[in-house]
Amino acid sequence: MQVRSAGFHNWFTRLCRSDISTALLFLLPSLVILGVFNFYPIAGIFRLSFFKWDNLAPVKTFIGLDNFIRLFQSERFWNSLKVTAEYTLVVTAVSLLLGLVLAVFLNNRMLLGKSFWRSMFFLPVVTPTVAAAMVWILLFNPGFGLVNVVLRALGLDGLNWLADKTWALPTVMSLGIWRRLGFTLILYLAALQSLSKEYYESAEIDGANALQRFLHITVPLLRSTTIMLIILGVIDSFLVFDQVMVLTRGGPDDATEVIGMFMYLNSFSLFKLGYGAAISVVMFVVVAIFTLMQWRFVGFGSAEEAE
Amino acid sequence: MNLLRRLGAEPVTSRKARTTLILALILIPAAFVVLVPYLWMFTTSLKVRGTTGLPPFLFPNAFEFGNYLKAWQAAPFLRYYLNTTIVAVAIIASRVVLASLAAYAFAFLRFPGRNLLFLLFLGTMMIPFQATIIPSYLIIRDLQWFNTFQALIVPRMVDAFSIFLLRQAFISIPRDYLDAARLDGCSHWQALWKVVVPLNSSSVVTMGLFAFLFAWNDYLWPLLVANSEQMRTIQLGLQVFAGRYQTEWTYMMAGTVTATLLPLILFLAAQRSFISGLTRSGLKG
Repeated sequence: MQVRSAGFHNWFTRLCRSDISTALLFLLPSLVILGVFNFYPIAGIFRLSFFKWDNLAPVKTFIGLDNFIRLFQSERFWNSLKVTAEYTLVVTAVSLLLGLVLAVFLNNRMLLGKSFWRSMFFLPVVTPTVAAAMVWILLFNPGFGLVNVVLRALGLDGLNWLADKTWALPTVMSLGIWRRLGFTLILYLAALQSLSKEYYESAEIDGANALQRFLHITVPLLRSTTIMLIILGVIDSFLVFDQVMVLTRGGPDDATEVIGMFMYLNSFSLFKLGYGAAISVVMFVVVAIFTLMQWRFVGFGSAEEAE
Repeated sequence: MNLLRRLGAEPVTSRKARTTLILALILIPAAFVVLVPYLWMFTTSLKVRGTTGLPPFLFPNAFEFGNYLKAWQAAPFLRYYLNTTIVAVAIIASRVVLASLAAYAFAFLRFPGRNLLFLLFLGTMMIPFQATIIPSYLIIRDLQWFNTFQALIVPRMVDAFSIFLLRQAFISIPRDYLDAARLDGCSHWQALWKVVVPLNSSSVVTMGLFAFLFAWNDYLWPLLVANSEQMRTIQLGLQVFAGRYQTEWTYMMAGTVTATLLPLILFLAAQRSFISGLTRSGLKG
């Protein structure tokens, strides 16, 4: 009893001497906002995913795992995962590759106006997605869109890009790549600028040509940047929504129906909110896994970070 | 093609000239492809109505500024601008205040459970907005906030990313500065606003720029909770306008330019801040 009260006393004095009251005051507003619009909703979708709740009806019916069972048996769900995976793979891979190649050229000592070039390639990143999608609709217009005009000049037939089951998804991807390229370029460029010149000098003495230096020195040295860009790219592409909504709404049929679109349609067109919540749970789990991978990778939560 | 052959045939005397040539041959076409959508957008927005399908495509030869007037009359773009500005300013202001406060607490205050709470805050970064959208929508519905500014502002008043960005900046300043201020009798509140924030003004500006871009480009959330003509923000307004005037390409592009210009100008004016913020945040979380 004696010991315990002494222990409590110690703990209490420590608490009083700490900045707990100021800290509470400073953190309270953020805690409330994050609590109401992040923690509560994420708990909410898990709870809601066990219910059947259509059209905001007064009564929700508990159905256990039925939403998930129906989801995993739904061809449309697997299709949306497949479309999302294709989109993610192509957009991430192409923007990484082009970003790396362009970054190497931009990093050349003899290049004049480096920041000018950098800004040009970065502009799409800060361009609103909806506005860019409007331009895309025009660029890929079957009649007078620039893409078809160029193709016809080359003697090829144009296509009705966004209405074509095979080509709609690549068209959406092209917008994704355009918007993502500047981001990978900037991060690769920053990484390149931090590389030591010594590696290159010794390689040059050994008579390695530019391509050999790129493949055997640059690419391996940029490995950690590449891994991080892949993870960030996967998270970003997996959640793609705005451009699909504006360009195709998931069509034609379900050729461009990414998982974000599938969730939106079920939740806010059909108002099957329990089912929509189950899809949200899947999206959360995938993104959470990739975020944890990224954190592990950059050493988040390690001793250095904690203090 | 001719030019290429001529240049190739000439003896290249210095390695420097060759490198410059290769760089130009690669970067100019690449930048051109990236910039074509902007050229096409501007040119189309200035064309005479009905000539969209005719060349020129990239550089305007007509300057029908009347298209902009038509677009602005057809849809209340000024209203959209005003709405977006109100939302953006409110989000930036609240993030500067709330994220600074939280970042200060995590960086300098001692209290039990600090690391745990910080991890909990960071945990929200792995929650994609889309995954929480149904419950968030229901909260707005229960509060009867549909078509109000609160619906667009309050859920965005602070985010873990801003807190993290500022906290990382705050811990890098010498502790002595803060201790000196505290010894001089500053309260934590005064130390934050008079010492810590001024010393980290560039990080605060970067955070504000990201918040602006976020508010300006936002689409899905306004679509769900504030889709009345009076309350629409710019991207949503643009999409509704485009749906109504689908074949009037000149007006549509005038509207698109209207919705695009401000973030582009802001970026070009503050690119250093943007890019340094991006490289820092991208490499760490």
